[in-house]
Amino acid sequence: MEAWTFGLRVRDIYKKFVIGEIRLYIAYNLIFFFIPLAFSCRQSAEKKIRIRWNGEKADGIFIPKSLTGDVPADSIANIVSVQRSRNGQDNAILGNFSTDSDLILFEPLIPFTPGMQYKIFARKKPVGLIEIPMPDASGAPSVTSIFPSADTLPDNLLKVYIQFSKPMREGKSAENIALIKHNNDTVSGAFLDLQPELWNQDRTMLTLWLDPGRIKRDLQPNKLLGAPLRKNADYRLVISQNWQDEQGARLSKEYSKKFITKSRDSLSPDPELWKIRLPAPATNQPVAFQFNEPIDYSLLNECLSIRTSDGKSVSGRWEILNQERGCHFIPDDSWSSGHYLLFIETRLEDLAGNNINRLFDRDITVKAVNKSSDFTKIKFQIK
Amino acid sequence: MKKIYFALIIACTGLIFLAHTTRLTRGKYGLIVGTAQIKSISSLAFGPDGILFIGDSKSATIFAIDTKDGVANNQAAAIEIKNIDQKIASLLGTEAQNITIQDIAVNPISKAVYCAVQSGDGTPVLFKIEGEKIQAVDTKNIAFSSLALNNAPAEDAKDKRGNSMRVSAISDIGFADGKVLVSGLSGQEFNSTFRSIPFPFTNKQDQATLEIYHAAHGKYETLAPIKTFTTAEIGGRKYLVASYTCTPLVLFPLDDIKPGTHVKGRTVAEMGSGNQPIDMVTMKKGGESYLMMSNSSRPVFKVKYSSIEKYQGSLTTPVEESFATAGVDFVSLPVTNVVQMDKLDDTRMVLIQRRSNGSLDLWTSSERYL
Repeated sequence: MEAWTFGLRVRDIYKKFVIGEIRLYIAYNLIFFFIPLAFSCRQSAEKKIRIRWNGEKADGIFIPKSLTGDVPADSIANIVSVQRSRNGQDNAILGNFSTDSDLILFEPLIPFTPGMQYKIFARKKPVGLIEIPMPDASGAPSVTSIFPSADTLPDNLLKVYIQFSKPMREGKSAENIALIKHNNDTVSGAFLDLQPELWNQDRTMLTLWLDPGRIKRDLQPNKLLGAPLRKNADYRLVISQNWQDEQGARLSKEYSKKFITKSRDSLSPDPELWKIRLPAPATNQPVAFQFNEPIDYSLLNECLSIRTSDGKSVSGRWEILNQERGCHFIPDDSWSSGHYLLFIETRLEDLAGNNINRLFDRDITVKAVNKSSDFTKIKFQIK
Repeated sequence: MKKIYFALIIACTGLIFLAHTTRLTRGKYGLIVGTAQIKSISSLAFGPDGILFIGDSKSATIFAIDTKDGVANNQAAAIEIKNIDQKIASLLGTEAQNITIQDIAVNPISKAVYCAVQSGDGTPVLFKIEGEKIQAVDTKNIAFSSLALNNAPAEDAKDKRGNSMRVSAISDIGFADGKVLVSGLSGQEFNSTFRSIPFPFTNKQDQATLEIYHAAHGKYETLAPIKTFTTAEIGGRKYLVASYTCTPLVLFPLDDIKPGTHVKGRTVAEMGSGNQPIDMVTMKKGGESYLMMSNSSRPVFKVKYSSIEKYQGSLTTPVEESFATAGVDFVSLPVTNVVQMDKLDDTRMVLIQRRSNGSLDLWTSSERYL
């Protein structure tokens, strides 16, 4: 029995196929397969909701108009909404809509929260879902330094600075920092729970005050609770791993700093006692200053400058050394032979908050020399 | 070539238009319509005609924005919103743990509550609360002016005292006698600057900077940063009533606040240890006025200004007396864990309180608390 297809015998079709007469037509016909395929791919790309990233912040989403249908620019907010995806009723998230020919951009008032899902509605019907990825674990923030760096500190220590690798969440120091005495007693109320906290501008360095009411002699908190630190004790400052950075990523591990306490520091820093190591002229060698006690890290970064004898500022860079007991200055241009001045702002403090002009808590019954100048100077000569 | 001419014409037209609109929009109090680049909101206070002052710690700047919320409301209804943090978080598409309520201020004209919120990533949002309605205040197209606190003083300034201290955080702001009062804390020195800035803001740096000392028992003198303050009239004289981070309650005559002065506050009470003052307001009922003070680990305190006035009699020799636990008489109200507080009218306050069940509620106190 002979089989027939499209008016040809199957046997003849097979023959033509084998000799290549039909194969070409089949190949041509594939184009009808690829065109719809390409079209459907394009459709799926346009259907995808995209997150707009600003650094690590998801601060907007692009919604293709193919999902929402045509939306007049002046009524997007009435037609399209973004909500948190969870059980129960929820409200539209506050934010701003803008649009171009293909896309609608939604910018929430605060960036989307990592780990949360959001649903997009158009005309009250769900049209899409996005999930904001959690921050990459490899990018976890860390504590890079804790100042003062020394491990023996006065018992009237006033400040601690914590330097982080990334901007951190504010207002969380009280729940994430603990001071432990003799390895087992938590010292309660050691730090001042100040709101707002004292952060630098990019939120990477926090200043913590040991409760000044307890340090100030004779004040009620001092009388009732005593100073936060006691002499000749060992302490551990612990920074919890739970502290989150701005993106919600926790610290890479728990951090701590051990120190022991010595007796109170009741003397102002005295630049007259600082030692100077001079560089050779016509070199860029540093001029080095060795203090007689550790100096406040943050103020040290700001209060010193080198000037020529006629008052001109010498450009260069400072480096803090030896656990804040010294620093050196490397000039941009070679030193010339001659006289120079180290200018010191008198607000420079030691670890107990005593500055060059006055003590942290001054006994006013004892007569003191009244110092009020904003600067003090040390002369040195390069020869 | 034609294209270049066309682009130039468009650019010039744009510039002329822009210049024209800027000049047009400079309105009352020198405000300009535009985007207020607010980086954080630590403190809020109302000035005249619905002008809201915003203390931005991150950029150490004071913003004055026109809320255009100036319709008088003399019969303000009590507001109550349970779980306000969750409700705000929901509007922002996040959870309560990811936001912080930084401050509240009641518009003395409209009685609407303005609430500053900060998200975990530091983004500030300002809300206006009327009844149960919580809506965001747009700071992108608003009449505003601003004043930076950390402007370096001129090199030849005669008195640079205190000006070199950089403000890291604005602990409180207020408005009295046509001046914005700002207490700023430094992240470096244990010190505060207290500035009294004339409003409308000018380019002149004529801010008063005080050195504030606290003298304990006439023996030890220390610098003392101000945490919170209010103003009040006591015995016909206007005073700044302030609390230091180390808890004493102190008074300064407002007339004494002049640039470059070294002012010592007069201690009228010490409010206990292990505690931080949070907010202070001045209230009135009948012929009596009261200072109300909320605290981090104490109940809300109520102090009669008349007892401060009486007490002042014995304070004529400043700093020599011991006021440690004596001080003025104060009453502890049965209200604890108040995190924000402002006055709604003379006899009622709006409070945000962490309840014993853990919920954070906004509510209005009745007259009986006075």
